[in-house]
Amino acid sequence: MIHRNWIKWAVTIGLILALAVLFVRTSARVPPGPAEPTFRMTLSNEPPTLDWNLATDSVSFDVLINLMEGLTEYDEQLRPRPAVARSWEVSPDGRTYLFHLREDARWSDGKPVTAGDFEYSWKRLLNPQTAAEYAYFLYDIEGAEDYNTGKADRPDSVGVRALDDRTLQVRLRKPIVFFPSIVTFMVTFPMRRDIVEKFGERWTEPGPMVTDGPFVLDEWRHEYKLTLRPNPYYYGPRPALGKVVMFVVNETTTALTLYETGDLEMATLPPEAMATYRGKPKYFTAPLLRGYYYGFNVLKPPFTDPRIRRAFSMAIDRKEFPAILKRGEVPASFWLPPGMPYHNPAIGLPFDPEAARRLLAEAGYPAGRGFPTVTAAFNTSPENSLIAENLQAQWKRNLGVEVLLDNQEWKVYLKRLQTDPLPLFRLGWGADYPDPDNFLNLFTSTSGNNRTRWKNDRYDALIRSAAADPDSAHRQKAYDEAQRILLEKDVVIMPLFVATQNWVVKPYVRGLQINALELLILKNVRLERP
Amino acid sequence: MRFLQSNPRITISGGFILLVCLAALAAPWLAPYPFDQQDTHSILQGPGSQHWMGTDRLGRDLFSRLLYGARMSMAVGIFTALFAVLFGTIYGAVSGYAGGRTDNILMRFVDLVYSLPDLLLIILITVTIGRGVLGIFLALSLVSWVTVARIIRGEVLKLREFSYVEAARAVGAPHHRILFVHILPNTLGVLIVTLTFRVPAAILAESTLSFIGLGIAPPFASWGSMANEGWSAMKFYPHLILFPSLILFLTMVAFNVLGDALRDALDPEQRMR
Repeated sequence: MIHRNWIKWAVTIGLILALAVLFVRTSARVPPGPAEPTFRMTLSNEPPTLDWNLATDSVSFDVLINLMEGLTEYDEQLRPRPAVARSWEVSPDGRTYLFHLREDARWSDGKPVTAGDFEYSWKRLLNPQTAAEYAYFLYDIEGAEDYNTGKADRPDSVGVRALDDRTLQVRLRKPIVFFPSIVTFMVTFPMRRDIVEKFGERWTEPGPMVTDGPFVLDEWRHEYKLTLRPNPYYYGPRPALGKVVMFVVNETTTALTLYETGDLEMATLPPEAMATYRGKPKYFTAPLLRGYYYGFNVLKPPFTDPRIRRAFSMAIDRKEFPAILKRGEVPASFWLPPGMPYHNPAIGLPFDPEAARRLLAEAGYPAGRGFPTVTAAFNTSPENSLIAENLQAQWKRNLGVEVLLDNQEWKVYLKRLQTDPLPLFRLGWGADYPDPDNFLNLFTSTSGNNRTRWKNDRYDALIRSAAADPDSAHRQKAYDEAQRILLEKDVVIMPLFVATQNWVVKPYVRGLQINALELLILKNVRLERP
Repeated sequence: MRFLQSNPRITISGGFILLVCLAALAAPWLAPYPFDQQDTHSILQGPGSQHWMGTDRLGRDLFSRLLYGARMSMAVGIFTALFAVLFGTIYGAVSGYAGGRTDNILMRFVDLVYSLPDLLLIILITVTIGRGVLGIFLALSLVSWVTVARIIRGEVLKLREFSYVEAARAVGAPHHRILFVHILPNTLGVLIVTLTFRVPAAILAESTLSFIGLGIAPPFASWGSMANEGWSAMKFYPHLILFPSLILFLTMVAFNVLGDALRDALDPEQRMR
């Protein structure tokens, strides 16, 4: 039997060795190949969609701005400059724009970018069947609103037309001074009819997805990471980066740890890290055109009563937010942020707990007695939790009202707001273009991003007329009145603060552009390792 | 009861647990600040004379929150353990005493509950019921009674074959009398030991739930939710996670030492050795 025993032993040892080798092989580090310049960053959550007609949020935008290019793009001063459009001309009455496209603009499969791609994209955006929240963005085009709201069922009546492959004609229903700024925005990027129709909803996956910007989507491992590579057909200079990796990381502190261990080139700073990093050379801060607010669904009790909405807004001491978040946030009871034309700091409800309590008593709830349980909803993030818990305490302290908190993951949360907005919800708004129209148009009754269910004819009219008025004194007056209706009279939203952006970036990163619109443009980034 | 006094393991661990319980009960009088009072002028302060354990990100006093957190953690621990022991004992005793097909059916159900992953089940239950003390209590109770049921059934299986039980049966004692008067009192030792192990298990489960964000809803605190708030700032403000995890750790150790010591003291077979 010795012989059989021997075989048994040999087999066992062989198996163990094989396992060991396998283990060593998989755990061993892959030897570094020829160094490919890689820029690694994080996204705070999975992009809800990369279909740029449908995207509404800044995470999707961070990805798309590097994959795509529209007619125009912003320069450092946030003025529109030519991109796919080589030049443009305006008719004397200001209502017709002619965009001339570059000959060398190419999609990532080599096909030229044509005016027809823009016409298709814009009509798809406006098609009621697409159900794009941002459709109202192009309402200033002739016939667009009627088509989108179903009053006209033919897209032919929409005033956008490819005169030939290189010329796009846009007819507006009124002169819009900032129209070249509007077409920097992602929802207006061109789109390929053949790709969308061939792949259906799958067209935004790597492989089918075809883009015209400096990068292409190479890999999208959902809830984990996205990888971008240079677009070989991009007309501009080829990006110096060989690869961009965007990891989906919810926790800012996790991202910061990854940055410290050398796994990221840049990271945003959470409040608790501010004291440590402020003033260090690799730290930088910049203002943002981004407002943070809590909105009411004005159709849901108890917030159908404007007195209650007013009381909630006046019971908030907004000075507490910068103390908590520590990033130089500007407390805001106004809606148009500083840095935006027609910003007016005098607008908005003051912090006045006495008056707030009186209002609540008038509405039938003296000292908060008998007030129904309401839930404040926000999307999951450490910062949002802090703010929500602070608001909860302030409303209890100043109104005697108990508020429950409920948080959901971003994708789920957005869906919820689209279908059935909660009575009290958190949202932010970052400028899509640096004009007050963008901030105030949001709450018009036709805006797809207005979650408050609030409609006010006077407000709509003010915003409409101001957008077409070249006279800045008139515009100031209109925007002031509109803000007063929104924030003081009807109290549809409670602005809390204007955000700032705070980053740490590795010292070897060069050419990173970050601006007040949160556009993170990577095409000019170089890595200069020592 | 004399063995309780002469055993230092029991005195120390039991004393510590008693102290934590008393501190939890007296939290409103002991705590220097209300647990939800936010002071934006003293955010993220380290331990000092004003705030013994420092303050959190909203300027709330950590020591006060820890005391109130003890209430939540201990209450959840003790009540779910009591429920588990009460229900599990009756279930296990009936099953073991009845034997045969009844036992078979009852125990297969226990196997079923046992085979489901605890945490997953708890998460499912809290998600359906919603965040809050009730949800946590229900969820933990529903998964923790099975262990007790198994232990007690085993005991009853053994005890019912003893001659004194046979004697009781011979003189015509009814089943409930045999079970509740003759058998169950003899499982008391095992029961007490089980209880001391169920309490920390429940406290830990509650902390786990709160840690992953499914437990106590703000502004209330439990040790787990405090650890959760603390871990992300661990690098910059270690006191935020240090104190809640330290007290959680000490309590766990105390309960386990107490359970071990009680088992040694109450188990007659071991005592004889």
